[in-house]
Amino acid sequence: MSQSLRPYLTAVRYSLQAALNLTNFSSQVVERHNRPEVEVTNTSAELLLQPMHISRNEHEQVLIEPSVNSVRVSIKVKQADEIEQILVHKFTRFLEQRAESFYVLRRVPIEGFSISFLITNKHTETMKTEKLVDFIIEFMEEVDKEISEMKLFLNARARFVAEAYLGEFVY
Amino acid sequence: MSDSVIANYKLAKAPIYSHCFSQDRSVLAITLHTDCLVFKMVPNGKPQLVASLSDHDKTVTAVDMSVHGRIVTCSQDRNAIVWEPLSDGTYKPTLVLLRINRAATCVKWAPSGYKFAVGSSARIIAICYYEQENDWWVSKHIKKPIKSTVNCLSWHDNGIILACGGTDGYVRAFSGFVKGLDSKEQVSSSPWADKFPFGALIREWYNGSWIHDVQWRSSQEKLAFVTHSGSFSVVDPSDQIWAADYPEGLPLTSVVWVNDHEAVCGGYSCHPVLFTEGANGWQFSKNIDKSVAARTPVAASLDEEDQDEGASFGISALKKFKDLDLKGKVSTRVQECTHENAIEELAPYSGTGDQVTEISSCGLDGKVVIYRV
Amino acid sequence: MEDWRRIDIDAFDPDSGRLTKEDLKPPYPVAVGQAEIDSKISQLRSAATSGDFSTALTLVTSDPPYSADQAIKERYFAAVLSVLTQVRQAEISTLVKQLSSSQTDVLIKYLYKGMSCPEGQKQGGTLLSWFEKVTQHLGVAPVVRYLSDRNTV
Repeated sequence: MSQSLRPYLTAVRYSLQAALNLTNFSSQVVERHNRPEVEVTNTSAELLLQPMHISRNEHEQVLIEPSVNSVRVSIKVKQADEIEQILVHKFTRFLEQRAESFYVLRRVPIEGFSISFLITNKHTETMKTEKLVDFIIEFMEEVDKEISEMKLFLNARARFVAEAYLGEFVY
Repeated sequence: MSDSVIANYKLAKAPIYSHCFSQDRSVLAITLHTDCLVFKMVPNGKPQLVASLSDHDKTVTAVDMSVHGRIVTCSQDRNAIVWEPLSDGTYKPTLVLLRINRAATCVKWAPSGYKFAVGSSARIIAICYYEQENDWWVSKHIKKPIKSTVNCLSWHDNGIILACGGTDGYVRAFSGFVKGLDSKEQVSSSPWADKFPFGALIREWYNGSWIHDVQWRSSQEKLAFVTHSGSFSVVDPSDQIWAADYPEGLPLTSVVWVNDHEAVCGGYSCHPVLFTEGANGWQFSKNIDKSVAARTPVAASLDEEDQDEGASFGISALKKFKDLDLKGKVSTRVQECTHENAIEELAPYSGTGDQVTEISSCGLDGKVVIYRV
Repeated sequence: MEDWRRIDIDAFDPDSGRLTKEDLKPPYPVAVGQAEIDSKISQLRSAATSGDFSTALTLVTSDPPYSADQAIKERYFAAVLSVLTQVRQAEISTLVKQLSSSQTDVLIKYLYKGMSCPEGQKQGGTLLSWFEKVTQHLGVAPVVRYLSDRNTV
């Protein structure tokens, strides 16, 4: 774990704690609807709070967009080279296709980010807020580990395949 | 459980957005999903469910009980219903013509019990009263200059001045004078204004963040309000504002006056806290849920975190098992609070004269708790 | 015209009562002008070059140009960012402890703003350690206040 990961995660933790104070809020625009205000375009500006951008460097960022009844958390996972880009894409796509089992996962990430979560007041009412924060933090820790493990595995496999294949041509 | 908690009732598995006790504390009404549940209080026992009022078809947002025992509920289905208690223990519903086209968010009976106010997402406050000749609850609207959802309402003891706060960041005081119901004597010597025509804006105060609750201290002619930025403020007729920040920082959702110089606030930190007026104005004083007060909140948790993170530099199998163990444990804050989720509403429960000694609270965890102040 | 179904008709209704971002800005008596900011920037620079970061930080966190237009804010922000990144890691903690709570609120705004623009992201590590020291000192409170504050830097 590198030195600057801890302040990064601490900042995300505090920002999430501040953002995850949601109320049950019925739409001001559409009758009898109750919808996540952060996802609605053309909404009233007073229902959105200041967005929080937390970045460790250009490649690793978190954007937290809070509103009165929902919070959108978008994570940009580190992608140093093309292999990592492919791996991150495949990995997040795999999760997004199973979004309903994760409750808070958004099916499509918002532009510029690898993966997005949408937490609404329904979630904070039925789950413990701290646990939700823990989940996001743990996800951020794990995803980097997972990607670099997959990369190592992929490289090892590629080397093995290449050796086996090219070995045929060695006389 | 701490010794400041007198009673702790787990009434539901879903959030209770609002609760209300009758005047003699024998009946408790709570909101639950699209219903309003009425409980009879049993001494030293769990409250007994006596009626389930279920005419709404969307989430019930607020409930209030008048001095006469009438229950009024309002809901996100745009309606309010007055429930008249009958002698056989059931309730007779009467729909109120609110004439609003968005959700109703909050409702409060005037102290007299003959009219009530409903706040809504339609940027309207409806003042409702009973019309004898039509046998019907009718409403009059206060519209201007409300710019966003009304979150909270509070009647002055004179039954005419109505304070409201909302997501537009303003606290406003309106006149809710209804001809034929109110008399000018009620506000004859009020310091707030000279004339009180219906719907007139008497005062407004800009705060900027969402106002979650307002509460009058009528005997002092003061108004307290709490906001989403975790601040507690008091204003008086000369427009002087005293403000105090909540050091733990999380937003406050509810406020109750305890006496002229003390108020209890509750919110997302799950325990009620006391604010006190001293020589230097208002200040945070202490946590009411006593066992939590024992530990120093911010610093302690941070140290723990520091150590955790530091140790994970050398990852060993033992460390991994330790981690699993750590993750399984309930975090300290939740464990030590009586409420397990945010407090939605506080109300005075009992007291003598001007001094409130016990307060009740309801929260997102489906609990109703009574605290000793 | 093919997307007429998506036109937001409420935006054309003057009675819709919807608030825009502009409506939310608190009323400012006077806008801060170019000259005022230039003098502040040079004060900042001189304090930073002489190594007096305590003074520089007090300058940064008191009376930020909320009412200025976007271009001026950006120029001022560039100066603020250079001050924040010049401070040595070891000093941050003591500096943060000297700030009052309203000054910390301003600092938090600059930190979030810094992390949202490319120049600041290069210095992400430094900004994050500022952020960590602030939260160690005051907990989550300044972050909550940042969320609701409609004054932007």
